[in-house]
Amino acid sequence: MDYLPTILGAAVLLPLISFVVIVLFGAAMRKAHVPTHYIATGAILGSFVLSFTAMCIWLSTHGIPEVHEHDAHGHGGHEEHAAGSHSAGADHLGESLAEGKLVEKGQDSQFIALTDDDHKEGGVGKDHASAAHGPDYVADDWYTISPPGIPKMSIGYHIDTLTIVMFVMVTFIASCIHFYAGGYMHEELHDVTDHEVTLSDGKHLRRPGRFHRFFQYLSLFCFSMLGLVIAGNVLMVFVFWELVGVCSYFLIGFYIERKSASTAANKAFIMNRVGDFGMLIGLAALWASFGTFSFGDVDGQPGLFSLIRPAENQHQMTTKDGLVQVGGASTEGESGDDTTDANASNPASFSYGLLIVAGLGIFCGCVGKSAQFPLQTWLPDAMEGPTPVSALVHSATMVAAGVYLVGRFYPVFTPEVLLIIAYVGGITLFMAATIAIVATDIKRVLAFSTVSQLGYMMLALGMGGWIAGLFHLITHAFFKSLLFMCSGSVIHACHTNEMPQMGGLRKKMPWTAYTMLVGCLAIAGAGIPFLIGFSGYYSKDAIIAQAISFTDANPSHKILFFVAAGGAAITAFYMFRLWFLTFSGKPRDQHVYDHAHESPKVMYVPLVVLAVLAVAVGWSIPWGTDADSGNHKELGVTALLETARPAGTADGAGTGVNFDVTYPAEAASHAEEIHVMATLVAFGTAMAGFLLAFVMYGLQRISAEDAAKQFAPVYGFFRNKWYFDELYHILFFKPTHFVSKLVAKFDRRAIDWVVNGTAKVARKVSDTGDAIIDKGLVDGLVNLTAGWIYSVANWFRNVQTGKLRQYVLFIVLGTVVLFVLIEYSSFLNAGH
Amino acid sequence: MGFHEQIDALIDDTQRSLALFGPELALCGTIILLLLCRLVIGDRLSSTLVAFAGTVVGLVAALFSWSQVAGTSQEAFTGMLVIDSFTIYFRIFLLAFAVLFVVFTWRSGIPDREDAADFYTLALGSLLGMCLMVAANHLLMVFMAFEMASVPSYVLAGILKGRRKSSEAALKFAVYGAGAAGIMLYGISLIAGVTGTVHLPSIGASLANTMAADPSSSVLWVLGLGGLMVMVGLAFKLSAVPFHFWAPDVFEGAAAEVGGFLSVASKAAAIALLVRVAIGFGFVQEASAWVDAEDQSVVQTTNGVDQTSIASASGETTSQIFIAARIQDGNSASGQNSQDVQTTGADHQQGTDQQDTDQQSGDQQGTDQQGADQQTELTQPDESQLSPEQQAAEAERLAEEARALGIAQRREAQEVANESLGPVRTYISYLVGFLAAITCTFGNMAAYGQSNIKRLLAYSTIAHAGYMMFAVAGAIPSIGTSTTLAQDHISALAVYVAVYLFMNFTAFAIIAFLRNQTGSEEISSYAGLIRTSPGLAVCFSLLLMSLIGLPPLAGFAAKLLVFSALADSGLWVLLIVGALNTVISLFYYLRVIKAMCLDVPEEGQQVAVFPIWKNIDGWFIFLLTLPVVVLGLFWGPLREWALAACSQLLS
Repeated sequence: MDYLPTILGAAVLLPLISFVVIVLFGAAMRKAHVPTHYIATGAILGSFVLSFTAMCIWLSTHGIPEVHEHDAHGHGGHEEHAAGSHSAGADHLGESLAEGKLVEKGQDSQFIALTDDDHKEGGVGKDHASAAHGPDYVADDWYTISPPGIPKMSIGYHIDTLTIVMFVMVTFIASCIHFYAGGYMHEELHDVTDHEVTLSDGKHLRRPGRFHRFFQYLSLFCFSMLGLVIAGNVLMVFVFWELVGVCSYFLIGFYIERKSASTAANKAFIMNRVGDFGMLIGLAALWASFGTFSFGDVDGQPGLFSLIRPAENQHQMTTKDGLVQVGGASTEGESGDDTTDANASNPASFSYGLLIVAGLGIFCGCVGKSAQFPLQTWLPDAMEGPTPVSALVHSATMVAAGVYLVGRFYPVFTPEVLLIIAYVGGITLFMAATIAIVATDIKRVLAFSTVSQLGYMMLALGMGGWIAGLFHLITHAFFKSLLFMCSGSVIHACHTNEMPQMGGLRKKMPWTAYTMLVGCLAIAGAGIPFLIGFSGYYSKDAIIAQAISFTDANPSHKILFFVAAGGAAITAFYMFRLWFLTFSGKPRDQHVYDHAHESPKVMYVPLVVLAVLAVAVGWSIPWGTDADSGNHKELGVTALLETARPAGTADGAGTGVNFDVTYPAEAASHAEEIHVMATLVAFGTAMAGFLLAFVMYGLQRISAEDAAKQFAPVYGFFRNKWYFDELYHILFFKPTHFVSKLVAKFDRRAIDWVVNGTAKVARKVSDTGDAIIDKGLVDGLVNLTAGWIYSVANWFRNVQTGKLRQYVLFIVLGTVVLFVLIEYSSFLNAGH
Repeated sequence: MGFHEQIDALIDDTQRSLALFGPELALCGTIILLLLCRLVIGDRLSSTLVAFAGTVVGLVAALFSWSQVAGTSQEAFTGMLVIDSFTIYFRIFLLAFAVLFVVFTWRSGIPDREDAADFYTLALGSLLGMCLMVAANHLLMVFMAFEMASVPSYVLAGILKGRRKSSEAALKFAVYGAGAAGIMLYGISLIAGVTGTVHLPSIGASLANTMAADPSSSVLWVLGLGGLMVMVGLAFKLSAVPFHFWAPDVFEGAAAEVGGFLSVASKAAAIALLVRVAIGFGFVQEASAWVDAEDQSVVQTTNGVDQTSIASASGETTSQIFIAARIQDGNSASGQNSQDVQTTGADHQQGTDQQDTDQQSGDQQGTDQQGADQQTELTQPDESQLSPEQQAAEAERLAEEARALGIAQRREAQEVANESLGPVRTYISYLVGFLAAITCTFGNMAAYGQSNIKRLLAYSTIAHAGYMMFAVAGAIPSIGTSTTLAQDHISALAVYVAVYLFMNFTAFAIIAFLRNQTGSEEISSYAGLIRTSPGLAVCFSLLLMSLIGLPPLAGFAAKLLVFSALADSGLWVLLIVGALNTVISLFYYLRVIKAMCLDVPEEGQQVAVFPIWKNIDGWFIFLLTLPVVVLGLFWGPLREWALAACSQLLS
C-alpha cells in the first residue's frame, strides 16, 4: 500500500519524461530518422503497467469488492488508512462517537453492528454502512507550495478506486492510441504537402513533418490527464485541468496552417475558458468557505469532503460555522446526536447558498470541458485535429474529465445543483443526438455522439446515479475510442470524412468494419436481455434504471426518463446509420472506393484489442463469496467503483431545499421491478433505433432523402446544429463586435481628438513657455549654475593642473576647513 | 610571563592566524610565483594563467573560509587583524573581483606579454593590501594596508608606458596619495597619543572612558581632529570631495582596466575600512569590559579571546591581580612592536572559550587583557610571590567572582559605555554624512559636462562613493538605538558594494572593449552602437540605468536599501540630498544611452561592432550584466548574505 502513491506518481511522470525528451531531442531525432513514437508509446505503456500494478496492489490489500444487496459496502482494510476520513474526522467527535471509533478500529463486524443500531435509532433508512463511513482512500501531499501561515497549497494525491479505475482506463486507451497513431501519423515522418492549405501562389503548403511534435503533445496530454485524475486537491485539479485544455488546444490546432483547424483550436480554448471562469468562482467559494483545497483528510487536517459531510453527521451535508453565514443558527451543536435529520444543514443560512454557488461553479467548468449545453459547440469543431487525438482527447479522456470531476466533487453538490446537472445533461443528450442523425461527416457524427453520451453521464450523475454515470464514462471511453479509431482508419483509407462518398467499404476493410460494428453494438447497448450484453448494455441499463428510480420519486421530472429512453433509441439509430452508410451497400464514389484499403496492422490490432474490451469491460466476474459476511464478491468496474462511492451519498443525495426534488438511494434502482423495466426499455428503444436505421440505410426501403424532404424544417434545424453557432454569433460575437467598433470609433473620434487637442494645446503652451520661461528664465538659471559649476570646476582644474604644491595644499586646506565645519556643527548640535 | 612563553605564545598565535589567512596567502603565493616564473621560465608560462589560477585559488579559499569562520569573530596576528564574516564577505568580493579582473584584462589585452607579470604583480599586491584593509583591526594595520593597496595602484595608473597622460596621472596620484597618507598617519598618532591605544576595539573603550569622565574634555578636540585626519586618508581612497582631485585625472589618464580596478576594488576596501574604523571609534565591543571612570583605568578584553592562547597557563603568571592595567601604545612604550603581552587573572581563562572567560570584577579586576601591539604596564603587581596552592586558590576565587558578575552586568556596562559614546557617533555621522553629501552632489554635477566616458564614470564613481558613505552615516548613529538596526544598515552598504561591482566594473569593461575597436573613449564615438551591436548597447544601457538606480535593476535595490537606512536613522537631509542627486545623475547617464541609441554617427566615423553572443568578450559582458538584472529582481539572497556578513560587526 505504501508503494501505491509512488507507483501512480511514476505513472504520471513517465509521459512527462517522454514529453521532455521529445521536446529536447525531437527535432534532432527527426533528422536522424529515429521514430519518436517509440519513446511516447513506451512511456504510456509503462504507465499502463504501473497503473495495472497499482490496481492489483489495491485489490490484493483491499480484497475483491463485495457486492451487497442491501448491506454495507467494502470496508476491507480500512485500518490501514491513517488518512481515512473517519479517523481524522473523529478528532472532533464527542466522546460517545470516539468510542464508536475505537470499536471501529478494532473490529469491522462490531462496527457494522454499532452503525446498525444507530440506524434503528435514527429511523432513517440507512441500510448502508458506507453511509456511516467514507470510502477507502489514500491521500497525502508530496510537496507543499505555500509557505506556512496561509491555507495550504500543495501537490498531493487522492487515491481511491475511482482514481485507479480512471488510471487503468486512461493509460490503456492511450497506449492503444499511441500504437495506432504511430501508423496513422506516418505521413508526418517526412515532409508533408498539406492539400487543404493553398498558399497565395496557388501551390499547396509544403512543410516539414511534425511526427515528433504530435507525440510530444500526446505525452504532455497523458501526463496532464493522469495528473488531473490523481490530483489530491482542487488547486492541482485546476492546474491540470488547464493543462489538458492547452494540450487539447495544441492538438486541435495540429494542422495549424489550416484556417479551420486554428479557428477550431481557438474556439475550443475560448469556450473552455468560459467554463473555467465559473469553475474559478466555484473554487474561490470553496476556498473561502473551507480554507482548504484538499479533497480528503491529509495529516489529520480535514479535507473538503469531511468538512462538507462530517463524520459526526453521518456524512450528511452540513454547513458549519466556518462557512460564511448570514443569520441562521450554527448547526454545529445539533449535528452531534441528531443524525435523523439528514439535512442537518441550515437552509436559511447563506452558506448553503454558497455551496450551491460552489457546486454550480465547478459544474460550469465541467460544462466547458465536457461540451455540455450551452458550451457544446466546440467539440464538433475540435474534430479538425488528427483522428487519434479525437479518439483519445475528445472522446475517451479529456472531455470525460468533466464527468469525472462531477463524480469527484459529488459530495459538494447539493440536490439543487444535481438537478441542474441532470437537466443540462438531458438537454445536451437530446440535442446532440438529434444533430448526429443528420450529420454526414463521419467524425462529426461521432463527435455529436460523444457530446450526447457525455450528456447521458451527466444526466445519470444528476439523477443520483453516481455509479451509473461513472460506469458509463468507463465503458463509453472504450467503445467511443474504438469508434473513433475505426473512423480514423476509414478516413485514412478514403482521404475523406464525408459518408455520402463512402459505402460498401466492408469488403475492402473487413477488420475496420467489424470492429466498428462491435463499437456500434456496444454504444447502442446491444445484448440479450437479462443474460449478457456488450458493455454499453450494462451502463445504459444502469442509467435508465436510475432514471426510472429517480422519476418515480419525483414525478414532476418525468421528462428526464423520456429523454434517457429516447436518447437510447436515437443513439442506436445514428450509430447504425453511420455503419450502414460507410460499410454496406454499394460504393457511392467509385474513386474513393478504389483507393480504399485496409489499414496496416499497427492500426487495426489496437482496434481489435479495444473491440474485445468494448464488449467485455462492463462484465462483472463473480469471485466467490466472502467467508465472514457471506456476501458475493465480484470483480468488475461497478463493484470497484462502489468502493469509491463518496461518503454519505449511498442513500441518495438528499432532498432539495430550494427545489422540490428528492434523491433516492442509487441502490434502489437495483430493485427487481425497476431493473426489469429498465432492461426492457433500453432494449426496446435500442432495437427500435436499430431497426429504423436498418430499414432506411441497410435495406434502403425508406429513402433518407425523402425523409429529409418530408421533415425539411426539422432536418434543417438539426443540420444546422440547432443554430447554436449562429445564435452565439448573434448573441455574443455581433454585440461584441458592435461594441468594439463603437469603442474604436469613440477612441478615434473622441479620445484621439482630446489627446491630439491636448497635445496641440500643450505644445502651444510649451512653445510659449519655452520662449519665455525656459529659454529666458530656466536656461538663464541653468546656464548660470552650469557656468558657475564650470567656473568652479575650472578653478579646481587650474589649481590642479601640474602644480603639486597647490595640490597638496588643498589636502591640508580641506582638512582644516572640514575640521572647523564639523567640529562646530556636530558638537554644537550634540549639545556640548 | 617569561620570554620563552611569550615566544611560544606568539608562535601559536601565528600558526592559528595563518590558518585564517588562506586567501591572502594565496595572493602572496601568486605574486611570488609570477615573479619567479618571469625570472625562471620567462614567457613560456603565461602570467595571465598564473594570475588566474592564483586568484581562483584565493577565491576558493575565501569561500571556504566563510563556513570555516561562521559564527565567530576572531582576531589574528596578535590582534592586528580581525577575521569575521564581514572580513570574509569583502574578501570574497575582492577575490571574485580579482578573478573577473584577470579574465577581463586577458580579453582586453592591456598588459602585453612583456608587462603581464608586472601588471598582475602590482594588481594582486594592491588587492592583498585591500584584503588587509577590510580585516584591519589596528590603526597601524590600517595605515600599512592602506599604503599596501595604494602604492601598487600608483604604478598601475601609469602602466600605459609612453603616454604622457598616463604618466601624469600616475604622478598626480602618487603625490596626492602620499599627502593623504601623511595626514592620515598624523591623525593616527594623535589618536594613539590621546587614547593610549591603537587597537581599534580598545579605542572605543578608551573613548567611552574619556567621554564618561568628562564629556566636554578638551582632549576630545584633539581626538576629533585625529579622527578627521584618518578620515582624510579614507576619503582619498574613496575619492570623496574635497579629496577627489586625483580621481578624474587618474581615471582619464590610466587605462580603463585600471579605472575599473580603482573604482571597484579600491573603493570597496576603503568603504569597508571606513566601517571598521567608525565602529572602532563609536562602539564598545560586548566582551570589552568597561570600568568606572573613577578608577581611571581601562581594562578590557576583546572578543577575540582566542588570543588567550597566548596567555599562557596562569601557573606561570606570577601575579594575577592588577588593580589597574594601563594600556599604552606599544610603540612609544617599549619598541616591542608587535608583541602581545598578556596578563591573565585566572587560569580558567585559557583556551578558546570566549565569552565566559573575559570578565573582571569590581575593584579587583581579574583581567584577561589582550590587544595587539599593546603593552600592558603592570602598575601594581602585588603579591608577586605566592605559593602554587595559594595561586590556585586565588585564581579560583577570582573566577568565581568574575562569574558572579555575570554576563548581564557586562552587558549593562557595555550599554552604559556605548551610551556615553553617543556624541562620538554623532560626530562620525556628521563627518561622514557631510563628506557624503558634498561628494555625491559634486560628483554628479561635475559629471554633467563631461564628454569623455572615462571621465564621466570617474565623476560617477565619486558620486557613488557618496551614496556608499550615506549608508555609513546612517548606520553609525543607529548603533545607539539598536545594534541589530545598525548591522542592518551596514548590510545595505554591503549589498550596494556587491551590486556596484557588477555595474561599474562591467561598464569599464565595455569601455575597454570598445576602445580596443575604435581607439576612442569619447561619448560621441558611441553613436549608432544600437544598430551595429544591439546586444552590447542594451547591456550598457542596462548598466547605466542600474547606476542611476532605476527599478527593476540591481542599482535600484541597492539604493533603496541605503536610502531606507537613512530614513530609519532619521537623516532626512541626507535622504533628500541623495534623492536629488539621483535625479541629477539621470541626465548624464541617459546622455550616454542617447548617444548609443538615438544619435547618428557622423560621416566616416568608425562604429564598433561587438556581437554579444559570438565571442568570449560578448559573453563576459552579458554574464556580468545578467546579475544586474537578476539582483534587481531577486535581491533577497544577497541581502540575507550581507546581513549574515554584518552580523558579527557589533557584538
